[in-house]
This record gives sequence, C-alpha cells and structure tokens, in this order.
Amino acid sequence: MNCDIVHSEDCNIIFRVKGILEFVCLLDDSNDAQCTISKTFQGLSSKVSSKNLVFTVSNSAVLIWPNNCFQSSMDSLTDTSSCGDILKYIEADNSESKKSSKKKDRKNSGPTVVNMKLLFEVTEPAGNEAPNLYRMVGQQHFARMPLPMDCILYVTSNESLANACNGLVEALSKQLSDMEEVVIRSRKGSSLLVPQPFHFQLPEPTGHTTVIYPAGVPDSQLQGVREDLHKKFELPGDRPCLRRANAFRFPDEAYKDGYLRNPHIHLNPPNIDDAKLYLVQGVYSYHHYMQDRVNDDGWGCAYRSLQTIFSWFQQQGYVEMAVPTHTQIQQALVDVGDKEPHFFGSRQWIGSFEVQAVLNQLLGVTSKIMFVSHGSELATKGRELANHFQTEGTPIMIGGGVLAHTILGVAWSEITGQIRFLILDPHYTGGEDLQIIIDKGWCGWKGPEFWDQNAYYNLCLPQRFKTI
Amino acid sequence: MGRSYIVDEAVEKYLGELQTPPGSCVTGLLTGQSSPQRDFVVLAVQTPHRESEGPAKASTGGSPLDDIDVEWVTEHARQVSRMLPGGLSILGLFLVTPPELSKDAQNTLKRLIFAVDKYITKGRLWELTEEDVTDRVTLHICSITKKAVCRTFDVKDPKSSAKPADWKYQTSVLSSWPMLTCSVELDVHIPVNESASNNTEKCIQDGFRKWAKQIEAGHCLINGKQAFDDSEFISGQKKNPKITQRQTLPARILVSDEHPEVDERSSAQVQVCSGSARVRGVVHCRAYIHNNKPKARQAAQAIKRDIINTVSCRVEMFLEDLLISEGSHKGPCSGRQALPRRVFVPAPCSGLSLCDYMFPDESTGDVAERLKEMLDWDIPETDIDISLETSHLFCSEVTDSHSSDSSEHVTSEVETPKIQKAPQYYAGVAVAAAVALLATATSLLYFNE
Repeated sequence: MNCDIVHSEDCNIIFRVKGILEFVCLLDDSNDAQCTISKTFQGLSSKVSSKNLVFTVSNSAVLIWPNNCFQSSMDSLTDTSSCGDILKYIEADNSESKKSSKKKDRKNSGPTVVNMKLLFEVTEPAGNEAPNLYRMVGQQHFARMPLPMDCILYVTSNESLANACNGLVEALSKQLSDMEEVVIRSRKGSSLLVPQPFHFQLPEPTGHTTVIYPAGVPDSQLQGVREDLHKKFELPGDRPCLRRANAFRFPDEAYKDGYLRNPHIHLNPPNIDDAKLYLVQGVYSYHHYMQDRVNDDGWGCAYRSLQTIFSWFQQQGYVEMAVPTHTQIQQALVDVGDKEPHFFGSRQWIGSFEVQAVLNQLLGVTSKIMFVSHGSELATKGRELANHFQTEGTPIMIGGGVLAHTILGVAWSEITGQIRFLILDPHYTGGEDLQIIIDKGWCGWKGPEFWDQNAYYNLCLPQRFKTI
Repeated sequence: MGRSYIVDEAVEKYLGELQTPPGSCVTGLLTGQSSPQRDFVVLAVQTPHRESEGPAKASTGGSPLDDIDVEWVTEHARQVSRMLPGGLSILGLFLVTPPELSKDAQNTLKRLIFAVDKYITKGRLWELTEEDVTDRVTLHICSITKKAVCRTFDVKDPKSSAKPADWKYQTSVLSSWPMLTCSVELDVHIPVNESASNNTEKCIQDGFRKWAKQIEAGHCLINGKQAFDDSEFISGQKKNPKITQRQTLPARILVSDEHPEVDERSSAQVQVCSGSARVRGVVHCRAYIHNNKPKARQAAQAIKRDIINTVSCRVEMFLEDLLISEGSHKGPCSGRQALPRRVFVPAPCSGLSLCDYMFPDESTGDVAERLKEMLDWDIPETDIDISLETSHLFCSEVTDSHSSDSSEHVTSEVETPKIQKAPQYYAGVAVAAAVALLATATSLLYFNE
C-alpha cells in the first residue's frame, strides 16, 4: 500500500519536511518503461540517503546534514541534542502573531510544527573526475517532473533530534517508494502523473497516515483505492475519510480563500445544569452578507445559510464542487422547475424548501423539513435537534419570521428540558474579523427567546448520504 | 562623483614597459574586481599581435585607430575572461596612442568597450543584479608623455558619455585577498531537439539555464557561515599588513530542485526529442574577494558565478571544437566525451591564480603556449596545476587519436616534468582508472537499455 503510519498521542512537535525532487528519465519505445521508472526512483532514493542531503529549518539559520554523522550549522545542535532544542532557533512568523486574538490562542494549543525544506549539497563531492558529456542519439521521450515530497514525523520534545532526522530520511525513502507505485499504476503510455502526498488524521490506533494520490485524477475515479484503504484501516464504510478534502490541516496552515472556519470553537459553552452539547461535526465556512463582492444585504440570508451548508459537504469530502453563488443557486431553482426564469438575477428571498431543492439539485443531498407553527415550540424540539447533530452532524438552515439563520448545535438537558441554540447569523455585513464576530454574537449561543414566538418556522435538516 | 580605481603597482610597471611602435596604437585589457564603493585593477594585458594578418591594411591612409582590429580585441577579451577565476572580470581597456591621435582616442575606446562587453557577455548564464557595477574603465595613455587619462562608460546605456574617474596606484592590492574554493558536482540532463531554429549547441546551453538558476538561488556557506546578506564578510583574518599570506576559504553550496513555475503541474513534462545529453562530473572553482569591507552576499555571488562560468565556458569550448571537427561527419553519435578540464596557474608577480582549459588531446605544453600567446607570460610547465580536476579519458601527448569517443587510453597523464609528483600519481591513476572503467561500464549499460 502506498501510505505509512505515525502514532501521535503524546507528541507535541511535528517535524514536517517538504521539498521537490526532480524526476528525470528517458522513455523510448524499445525499453521497459516500468523498469526505467523504477530505476529512476532508486536513483532518487540513493540521493535521499546520501550524505549530500540537507534539511534547512524554516525561519531559522539551522542546517542539518542528517546522513553525514549529523552535522549541523549550529555548534550547539549535535547528535545528542533533543528535538525541543531546535525550537529556540526558530523565529516566530510575525504576521501570524499579529492576527491572532487571545481567544484564538487559548483554543489552539496543538503541537508545534517545525517546517523544514529539502536541500542538496553540491560541494564536497566524493571524487574529482572532470565532467564528461554523454550523448544519446535516437528518438526518445524525455520525461521530467517535480516530485512534491512532504513527510511528517510526530515527536516529543525530549526525543533525540538525530533519531528524528533519521526517521525523516526513512520517511522520505518510503514516500518515494509509495510514489513509484502510484506513478507506475497511473501511467498511460509516456504520460506520467505527478504523485501527490496527502496527510490524514485517522482515528486511533491508526493515527496520522500519508496517502499518495495521482494529480489530476478526481476523487470519483479513486474509489477503488479508498475502498482498500477503508478496509485496511477499519474506517466506516459510509462516510468520506480519505478524500483530498479530508486531508489534515496543520496548525500553521492558513486557509487561502479568506473565509473563517468553525468560528464556534472559540465560544464558551452555555452554563446550563445537566446539559449536553450536540454540535455540528467537521468543518464549515462562515458565509454572510456582503461577501464575494455581492451586496445581498436584506435579501440574501437564506442564500448565505445555504452556502454554509454547501461548504460543509464540500469540506467533508462529499463533493468536489465549489460553493455556488447567488445566481448559481437561482439557476438551479429555475432548472428544477421550482422557479420561473425571471427569478434568475432577482433579489427574491428563498426559504427552507428552496434550500432543500437546491441541495438536492446540485449535490444530490436529501433534507428533512421540520415545521413549527410558533417559534415558541422550538424550545421543545431539543431531542430531535440533538439527534440530528449526533447522527448527521450537518448545519441546519432555519427560516421564519422574515429571517433565515443557521443552527450549528444545541445545548440541551434531557432532564430539565432547558435548551440553548448555537446560531451562526448570515446577516453580518462586516469583514472576516473573528474578534468582532464572537464578541458581538454573530456566532453565539442564544436562548429560546431568540425566535419570534408567534411566527412559524421551517427547518431544513440536510442528510448525509452513504459514500466514501 | 566618479568612480575610484585602486590599481596594483604591477599594472603600473606593465603599462610603463609597453613597447609601442612609433605612430601606432596598442590596445589591451584591464582586469580586476568591482564593488559598489570602488574598483580594483589587478592585471593588465596587451592585445597580442594577430599572426594571420592579411596584406597590411595600415597604409590605406586611414588613421592607425581605424586599423584596430575590433574583432580581435573582443576575441582576446573573451579568451582572457575565460581565464579569470570568480570575482575577477574584464573591467575595461587601455589604449596607447601617439599624441596626435589623442583627441580621437575616447571615441575609439568607447566603441571598443561596448563591443567587448557585448561579446564577452554573450552566452552568459547568470543575470546581472542591481548591485553589479556596469561602469567600465577606459585608460588612454599618450605614448610620448606617458600621461594617462581615465574615464568610465556605463555599458548598460549605449548613449552614456565619458565620466571622469580616479586612477590611483597602490602596492600589493590583492596580496591579502581571501580566495574561496570549492569542488562542485553536477549531473545535468538535457533533451536535444534539432530544428531549424534550435541547434544542438543552443539546446545544450539552454538546458544549463535551469541548473544555473539553481546555483544562483542556492545557499552558500563560506567557512561554515551562511553568506547571503549585506553583513560584512569577515574572512577571519586579522588585519596585519605585514602578513601577506592569502587565506583559502572553503565554500559550500546547497541547492533545491524547486522551480516554482513548473511545480504546479499535474503531469510530467514529456518532450519528444531526437537525442539527449548528460553532463556529469566535478568542477573545481575559485573566487577572489577584495578585503575592503566586502559584503557576504558579494562573496557568495563571486563563487557562484565562477561555478556557472566554468561549466558554461567548457561546454561552449567543447561545442565550438565539435563544430569544427564534426563538420564533415554524418552527424553526432552516441557515447561519452570528455569536456575540457580546468587547470590553474599562478600569475608571475601577484600569486593570483588564473586558469585555462585543457582538451583531452592537449598537454601542459599546449597550455603554456596559450598563456604565452594570450597573456604574454612565461610559465614553466611544472607550475601548471592539473591535479584539481582529474580525467580518465585524457591521453598523454602521444601518437594518435583525435578519436575521443573510442577506447579510453588508460595511460597516466604524467609527463616527465612532474617528477616529484609521479609516484603517488601513478598509483592514484591506476586505482582511479579501475573505478572509471567500472563507472563507464555501468553508465553505458544504463544508456543502452
């Protein structure tokens, strides 16, 4: 199989080494392509095990030669040093520390990531034979591709640094061999696909695993590979765990699209006796008014709630589609016959039924609709909502009165019946400022009085579908 | 605010001793090192007499200035610039004229300096940075009064006018300049696709561009410390003017295979080609850096540029030679050929190390001859150091063969002059030869599959 495993229970440092290894080979019609490819990988494996390999630690002046009796560029880092010793050489990335608020830091006390890059020394060679030119004449296919190496190792701060580096070298070798398998398996003639590593955090005892997927091949065509891996790791057979979207996000990797993820984790749970929390599972993005340069202030709240739900299905690996725009949502409703063509491009509101229709049309997702004739009744729906979050774990869209909101969870006491609702409000018109969003309650716990006690409400509860 | 040139007294002596036939002109090169604050001139070389002179054009009534063979001056400049180690380059030209031609001298010098710069920078694989000085010096000397006028031109600007500059003589300018050294291993694969616009030579030169960029972008460690910024490069030598011993500092270069533009691909880049070339081996490199508060970045740049230059230069020489010798053959053939290897020679006065390239069928005698021709130096063959780069495809100066791709002659390359080195050398060669045979066998196998 093309993956390997790291146990990560007590580790507080993640060493991550990334870099490009250039794969170059000559394929011609007469030779055995598989053999040539294997030989090239063997060559790269020797390169990685050679004494020319150098790790450079990002944001520091540290250089390590792991295969050269553990040489380092710092006198105080030797083969007896521990992993934690390396931390004092690393300069914190200034831009990160400016953006983080106090609340954010409190919640994120995960392991420290030490990023390293792969380098090769070209000096201090073994011999001094002057260069020769080797020429091959005859038609060939000259194939060249960059292999994106990405290996991780979970360590504790008092483990030996030299051992950790050896571990990384072994991981690199193993990754090359996994990549070789994928390149050979996905080859078509002289077309070779770049093997890309993805890291996954699987439930214990498996822990962290790296899987290699061929670039450009959509998840839908890798079903067979995932089936084998689900069996191997004893993963549930009904939900995605190893899609590219499920890849582990390292603590220091920011989301490039600018949307906030799971703002609710920065909240303190409400203080109710005997209450249990039933929350959305996984990751969603916060979609709200005025984003994406669309001025939907006053009419787009349900659209935004729908986008949040869509983002959930995308990030849990159910679909590879991008979150739809307002017009794409409207087009879907026209396509399905729910709306007349003039609806497209308008500023008309939509409700739970439209949300249900769009989820079905674009994602093939079915949803349950829950109806309450008075907002006051929502306080009695604790059990249903708790069950929903336990089994489906998807965000809920609620529409009624003149407003639409997203429910991300409930705090509910089976004994007293007391209930609080975790609400994500799409009516927020500001920027992606987590501090404001939390402080002003745009994402917050609300009591039953939050709802219009006399209006009727429809809730759209999206259901997961079975897939891996 | 003109530039300041600190010139070694050896140059003063050389210029003073120049023999100028009456009524005629003498041109020559000025070499040294530029830095943002000041420039150092360490070597002057007269343009050698061109032997294959056709019927004398001198007496057509034009001025001797018009008779200056610009092509020959630029060719000489190119040959000499190939002999310079890192950090040193052609900084300008000198021109000796009789007094009556003095007023036209500036124009001639301007014409020459632009022509020289254009010619020697052709085929260069590294780019100039903002910190590189593009001013070149022109020195006009009157043959009677010996008066010297120093001006500079900015070769980046074809419209540039002459700017005044300071020319000061000083003793032992580079005697305490540290010398950076390293041996660099390379293994570059290049697809070759001959077409109307792209001949083999261009393919191979282009193939080296990527490698050159990697070297330029690489980390450089000098004496164990990373050299990448504008901090002062401290060679570690205590400033004692009495000690003129030159420090030799090892440099280490670390590169990454990253190439941002291509790294986003999802599939391999596959090129159909009519052949391929691979250059594999070790090159020995040297660079000098001045000791007047040099920046670490400049030191790193000097050695990196030497690495790139020595490779591109010997490939260029090999291909030029190939063009001449293969002209009549039916086409290129597969196999292994040795590129010219680098040998080092000490300059007569300053101890500066220059270099030359020796083809497989040449000997140190040929190198000595070339040095005499290009630089007017008499260097005993024993002083030519050929030990820094070895090669097992090189034959001794014997009998036959310009057939460089047939059998290897596993004879020693030792000629009798190198007596004191001979015994270890034989032994070394024998062992190395065995290894080379094994390596050849393996590499031919690899390519023939």
